[in-house]
Parts: sequence; C-alpha cells; structure tokens
Amino acid sequence: MKLSISKNVHLVEPGDFEATDHWYPRVLNSNIHPLVSYFLNLSHEQMIERYHRLHPSADPAELEKILKYQPKYFRWAGTDMMHVTNHEGYRKLAIIETNSCPSGQKSMPLLDLNVEQGGYRRLIENTFKPMVEAHQEDGVLAVAYDKNPMENIGYAATVADVFEEEVYLAKFDKDDQDPPVKFIDGKMHVRDSGENWQPVRAAFRYVTQEPWNRLPKHSKTLLLNPIEACLAGGRNKEVASRAYDKFNEDFQEAGLSIFTPTTYRNVAFDQLEEHFKALGGGMVIKVPDSNAGQGVYTVISDKELKETLPKLNKNDLYLVQQLIHSNYSRGFDPKKTWYHVGTIPDTKGRSYAFDLRLMMHATQEGLRPLAIYSRRSRFPLNQPLPENMNSWEVYGTNLSVKGEDGWTYADERLMLFDIRNFGLLGLGIDELIKGFVQSCMAVYAIDQNAISLFD
Amino acid sequence: MIHKILVVEDDVVFCKLLTRFLSKKEFVTNDAQKASDAYALMESNQYDLAILDYRLPGENGLEILKKIKKEYPDMKVILISRFGDTETADEAKSLGAEAYVSKPINPDELLEVIHSLK
Repeated sequence: MKLSISKNVHLVEPGDFEATDHWYPRVLNSNIHPLVSYFLNLSHEQMIERYHRLHPSADPAELEKILKYQPKYFRWAGTDMMHVTNHEGYRKLAIIETNSCPSGQKSMPLLDLNVEQGGYRRLIENTFKPMVEAHQEDGVLAVAYDKNPMENIGYAATVADVFEEEVYLAKFDKDDQDPPVKFIDGKMHVRDSGENWQPVRAAFRYVTQEPWNRLPKHSKTLLLNPIEACLAGGRNKEVASRAYDKFNEDFQEAGLSIFTPTTYRNVAFDQLEEHFKALGGGMVIKVPDSNAGQGVYTVISDKELKETLPKLNKNDLYLVQQLIHSNYSRGFDPKKTWYHVGTIPDTKGRSYAFDLRLMMHATQEGLRPLAIYSRRSRFPLNQPLPENMNSWEVYGTNLSVKGEDGWTYADERLMLFDIRNFGLLGLGIDELIKGFVQSCMAVYAIDQNAISLFD
Repeated sequence: MIHKILVVEDDVVFCKLLTRFLSKKEFVTNDAQKASDAYALMESNQYDLAILDYRLPGENGLEILKKIKKEYPDMKVILISRFGDTETADEAKSLGAEAYVSKPINPDELLEVIHSLK
C-alpha cells in the first residue's frame, strides 16, 4: 500500500487485505448461526417453493422472474425491514427503506471460515468483476467513497486481490472544494501521485451523501452502483415509494406485493398536523433524500409534534408514514394498526423494536442475499416511555452517531446473526425467506423505475 | 527505543491505516487530526515519536514540531510532506526534526526510518 499518493488518495495493492481492519472486533470473534447459514445457501428454487407454500396465492413463475432478475442499474442493495404484526397476529416483514451502496459487511460473520474476505469477496467476484470484464473502457480501477472507511478499504483491498492490480482509494466528499475525483466528458478521473488525472475504467462506489451532486448520469466509467440507482429510489424514499406502488399494481394478479407502512407522499409542512390527526396521533415524518437515520422523526404526541416542526424546513415536502406501534399504544384503529413484534423478552422482561438489514447483490444466477444483521432500539417497547424521553428512543434503530472522527456507531445495539444473538430476534427461516423476497421485489421495482426514467 | 508513537494527519484514513500498521509491528499508537488534539494527547501521554503531516488545518506540522522541541525535547519527530517539497524538508531539519519523509508513504519504508532512529 502507498499512503497519500495525493490528497485523500491511497494506492491499495494486492495482498493488502487485513481481516482485522474490516470487521468490528466482536464480529471477528463470532460464528454465524447455522440457520442463517442454511438460509444464505438456499437455492432460488427452494425459496420460491417455500414462499409459495407460505403464500399460496403467489405465482411461482412470476416470483422466479423477480428472484432471477438481472438489474440494469441497481445491482447492489440493502433493504431495512421491520418484523411487524397486526391485531390478529398476522406477521409480516415491512420494507422501511431500500438503499443503494449499503453498509453491512463489517457486521456480518463469515459464511465460510475458509474464505477470509467473506462477503467482500463474494460481492467483488460475483457482481463487480463480471460487470468490469464486460465493460469496454480504458483506465485504472478505483474505489470512491465518502463514509465508512472500514468497509471501503476492505473493498479496495479485495478489488486489488481479485483483479491482481493496484486500486485507487479516493475520498470523494460532498464538501471538498478540491476533490481528488472528477468527471471529464462523463468519465471518472482520479488524481495520482504526480497530480495528474488518471482515467478510471471502473469504480466501486460508496458515495452516499447527496451523490447526485457529484456523479453524472450515463457515466462512461462503470460504477457499482451508477447514480441512476439512487435517483430511481435507491437514495430517495419518495421516488422509491412510487416505484413500489407501480410494482404492486403490476403484480397484483400474481399475488405479489411490497409491504410498507401506509405512506403519504409530498406532504407539505402545513399538512403535517392534519396527517398526524388522521393517523390517530402517531406518524413518522421523513425527509425523502435523507439517510443513516438522519431526517427521520417519530411523533406520538402533540407535544412531540410541536417539538419536531421547528426542525423542519417549511418549504420542503415530506414523506409521512403510519407509525409501527408498540403494544402499549392506545387510541388507534386496531384494523389498520401494525405493531413491532420486538425481540424475545430478556430476563428483565424487556422487548425492543429492531430492524433487519439485508444486503443483496446481483449475480449471474440472479439476486442473492449477501449480508444480514439487525439493530435494536435504545428503550424497550413494553415499558411506559418516561416523560422527558423522545419516542425515537423506542422506535429508532439506526446505529450511526455523529462523532468527532466521523461516523461511529452504538455497538451495544448491533445484533449479529450469530449463535449468540440471532435467537434473541425470534426470527425463523420463513421470515428470512419472506424478507429476501420483499427485498428482491423492492430492488426489481426500483431498477424498473430507473429503466423507465433513464433509458 | 521507540515504543509509543503519535500520528498527526488530517486524513482519517491515512491515520487509521498507518496506526493499524504500526500497531501490528508492536508499537503503541494514537492519532490526531489537528494540532489542538495532538497537544491534548501529548499532555496525558509520553510519546517517543511524533509523525507529523506538514499540511494540517490550523497550525501546520512545522509549528507543532517547534512546540514539541521546546516542551518535549526527548520526543523524536518525523515530518511528512508532499513529494519534492525541499523547502519544508530543510526547515524541518533546521527545527530539529529527526527525519523527513515525502508522500506517498510506503509503510514498510517508514518503518525502516523509525527503526533507524536511536
């Protein structure tokens, strides 16, 4: 490795991968739960047959089309889901959001102990490499990123190993006035050690903060993922919501649908109070292009609404969603309400809301699950919320904490899918299959949206 | 004998890559992205060596070097700057830096420089 060949650019060489640098320490010492390993190795045919048995009205041929789909733009995705139930005890996995270029490798125990690079290698070898080989363009290989160095250095080292060549690791920040990456006639270039601009033939892209400000459409440099995936819903909840609705319309007869909490789009600031009342006094307000848990507000009381409104821009339009409740909520229409199933109660009786992050990638055989983990909330669902506490403590699951050194995380709330933690979630293999199918449908919907918008 | 090292560089990734590399070579390391954080660490730790980048936000590496040589005379200093910056190299040496290394940094080569410091 050569550090700082130019400002914010490092040259990563084959052999630079160090496992201890690319997983959280507790993940390095964990063992994947056998049931999760079994799920990750299920064939499409097994999953389709099982899903059909769980949902007899689902058309297996249509489901096969989705699971074996080859996305044009959205080939690497992460869905966040929540395990919910209704008054009748009908449990589902609800899609909360779908992200392009998701994090997650550092939280995933090794699937095969003999493959040291784990999911990093599966993504690069089975998704990125075939794309690069089919792309006729000259230049170097790069990893462009704006967050998450732990995973991105790992990706750069894996790319170097898989391609057996040096990789430019470049930080491409949204606020950098003199970034080391630029596009010339639609082709990415990276600054080298002589302050010259090297053309890039393909780049692994983890540019997640307002990426549309820096990445062009129809890039000549192959990007995993290209910006089209973000614009079509991979980084915009409002656009994604439209794509899901279109999918649900198209696949109604096939008995397939993407399940999300009831969603209202383009809600003006002045209409938020009205929606709060219509939803029975509980809702989630989302800034459509926010991520990492920022710009999302849970509101469960007039007081909380009053505190939230000043944080919002009066000229913006918002996404408003039905809140998934704890069992202790009262005063809502039971026919329309969904509740968190929550974690298995601990010895003190506490059960927490949690989400499920499923990372997936497009391979030659179709969409495959790649990494999976959960994050739980800070405060339990089944205890009355102290008066001075915000409802986000009960319903919010994101681990990102804005620290002095960038993005750190709340380790105690990360729940690995390992032998020790997985059982605490109360999930079985059927939920994992349902979650995977939901995720595939979301990816299909967003990719089809990208095709209709940009082709 | 060098045992405890402070790396001062505003590129977080550089810091992490270098400190992890040095840790694996049995050194104890800390890192700071700006002068004020570096000074705070120096007050509560006794370092044998500081590796300073020249270009930092606020006080630059040469200013930190001056302060180290005044207040922590036993601490050795390696200054890092961009390739071909002979002016900075000369100034670093005149201010008492034990070594000067230009970017890009090859960690194995930097290790040799560290081992050469008596």
